[in-house]
Amino acid sequence: MNTISCMMLSTLALSTTLALTGCEPTPSHADINQALVSELESSYQAWAESSEQLAKASQQFCADKQPLDSLQTQWRTTFEHWSALQPAQIGPIAEHNRAWQVQFWPDKKNLVARQVNALLQAQPKLEQAHLEQASVVLQGLSAAEYLLFDATIDLTENSQKTRYCGLLSAIGQHQATLARTVSNEWAGDTGFSALLSKSPNARFADEQESTAELLRSQVSGLELMKKKLAVPVGKLTRDIVQPYQAEAWRADASLQSLRAGLHTLRTLWGNEHTLGLRNLAQGQAVQALIDQQHLRTEQAFAKLKQPLQALLPQESGRGLLNKAYAELVDLHRLYEQDLARALNVQMGFNAHDGD
Amino acid sequence: MNRRQFLAAGIAGLSATTIGHWLINQNGTPAATLFSARSNAQGQHFACAWRLNGEPVFERQITQRCHDILPLPDGGALFIARRPGTALYRFSANGHLLHTQRASADRHYYGHAVLSQDGHWIYASENDTRDPGRGVIGVYRLSDTTLSKEAELSTHGIGPHQLLWLPTSGLLAIANGGIRTEADSRQAMNLGHMQASLVLLSADGRLVSQETLAEPKNSLRHMAVAADDTLVCGQQYMGPIEDRVDLLAIKRPNQPLKPFPVLAAQRQGMQQYTASLAIHEQQRVLAVTLPRGNRVQAWQLDSGELVLDQALPDCAGIAAVEQGFVVSSGQSRCRLIDLQGATPRISALTLPAGGWDNHWRLS
Repeated sequence: MNTISCMMLSTLALSTTLALTGCEPTPSHADINQALVSELESSYQAWAESSEQLAKASQQFCADKQPLDSLQTQWRTTFEHWSALQPAQIGPIAEHNRAWQVQFWPDKKNLVARQVNALLQAQPKLEQAHLEQASVVLQGLSAAEYLLFDATIDLTENSQKTRYCGLLSAIGQHQATLARTVSNEWAGDTGFSALLSKSPNARFADEQESTAELLRSQVSGLELMKKKLAVPVGKLTRDIVQPYQAEAWRADASLQSLRAGLHTLRTLWGNEHTLGLRNLAQGQAVQALIDQQHLRTEQAFAKLKQPLQALLPQESGRGLLNKAYAELVDLHRLYEQDLARALNVQMGFNAHDGD
Repeated sequence: MNRRQFLAAGIAGLSATTIGHWLINQNGTPAATLFSARSNAQGQHFACAWRLNGEPVFERQITQRCHDILPLPDGGALFIARRPGTALYRFSANGHLLHTQRASADRHYYGHAVLSQDGHWIYASENDTRDPGRGVIGVYRLSDTTLSKEAELSTHGIGPHQLLWLPTSGLLAIANGGIRTEADSRQAMNLGHMQASLVLLSADGRLVSQETLAEPKNSLRHMAVAADDTLVCGQQYMGPIEDRVDLLAIKRPNQPLKPFPVLAAQRQGMQQYTASLAIHEQQRVLAVTLPRGNRVQAWQLDSGELVLDQALPDCAGIAAVEQGFVVSSGQSRCRLIDLQGATPRISALTLPAGGWDNHWRLS
């Protein structure tokens, strides 16, 4: 922590920023980055543990030692841990298409179902190696969701269980290995946590670059979260709802996913008692604006008392979803424009609008 | 001057203007001037020249966003508007805007041009918007302070992008991206029917070869060439993210265009999108920027062995220097990649961070 004391502060000409903090020590840029990094590292750790639990639960279900609903519950838990990382797709998970190996969305052409069936036709006795060589579409939670929740598959029936269990177990194993690998790459003296919080290094030239990457991952996450609501409520299809284009529609876990992402975003933003990105915007108008917008967004989501698939057919439900979407749009705009400007962070340039 | 003469003027002894003389001097003080287009967070566009050691030469606001830059014999440079831009900005070495060339009626630029070896002619890739996407090479005469368009040639393809001279054979390589776009648009019209091709034209303007890639949705964009004419093309794949597609192709002298071998880990890191390419002549290393994958990758040109796979957000322009490569970024600080030791060493350059457009040219 920054060790500037009250006594020292009293002898300095106080800037507006320092005056606003009273006699509290002003956290340094490095302290703030460190707070975010610690939060992220533990979130990745939680996802890895949950993925290992999913692998275990799949094996136990396939060995008739656990009922289907326990495995379904574990899938939901793992999916929630994964969704919590949505505004934190930074570092090891953002490399080498790894995120696609966990979740395949959007799936406009129902590729998950089609490829699962094509694979099992080609490899009725599926082994781990087959999955490792297969498309990312088949390796992740989206394919597992299809097996566990699709209306055409009943895993309580023995013949279907026999047909799908090889794939189910292989996905569990793939996820456990992938999540553990990613989590391990955050840890240690040369891990991603150290790179993010201790610059300069080959990856980050200074603290500003670390902050910029942290903010950009949150803005990208918000952009994706917006899209995850925009698609099913019909924002891209002239208000014609698209329930089967929603994220995790088979498990009807779309809103659960968005809430998990918002929770992470709020945690990384911080509050009066915990360090977060908001400390870097101390004394700037955007700080209060984002404080308020987080609150408004949470309130809008709290009004969604039913899952997405139940809300979409109702006019009142669509009204509530549209309101939640509007709040997400405002939150995204504040992060992407106002906060980026306040923190002097350049958003996507060549990557989003290149030639 | 007829069509044959136009191209013939450009051919002889091209290597000096297209590759080489990108050096940092022995004591490490960067003597080279780098040219690049930049934009700021407010969406304003600039033509820039800096020394690699961080000294500004000039930074001038321009109306249209530019893409590649053509260093000129007088020490100045031509900044070329990207699609669907319609301006070529000619700056003197000290940053005086000498001339703004407007595209002809029904034409726009694609952000790339090359210069003839005699320094008198410029060839720019253009779109014939009456037949959207039909590729045209605009031929311009370069006088002391201005430009004038004298003729047009066909690129023998759709949506041309980068042009590059092959130094040994004197052929002109054209990356036809295969995508049709209209006059004021960046929206692709023909993703289902793309026709990308690598075209080589002879010194007298004849079509020497036209080669395509295995994947119809793979758009050729940028190229780099070695002194022996080994040509590498970087692609942008317009199909789904999950498809496994080769994004680099190599054409060794007198051989057909074929995929440049890349391991799955690097291919996945590309996110279906390559940006700029550069070849280090002495080290025989190919480097590519991948702004969607946020990585810079490099390989031995001859063996295909991986040299580097380094994260750099929104990396953009890349150029060879004595030690290795210098790389810019749309978001971060620029980097020097030193490949002289046993392992690559990355350090930040003392240049402004972020806003750098797709290409760096050193002169």
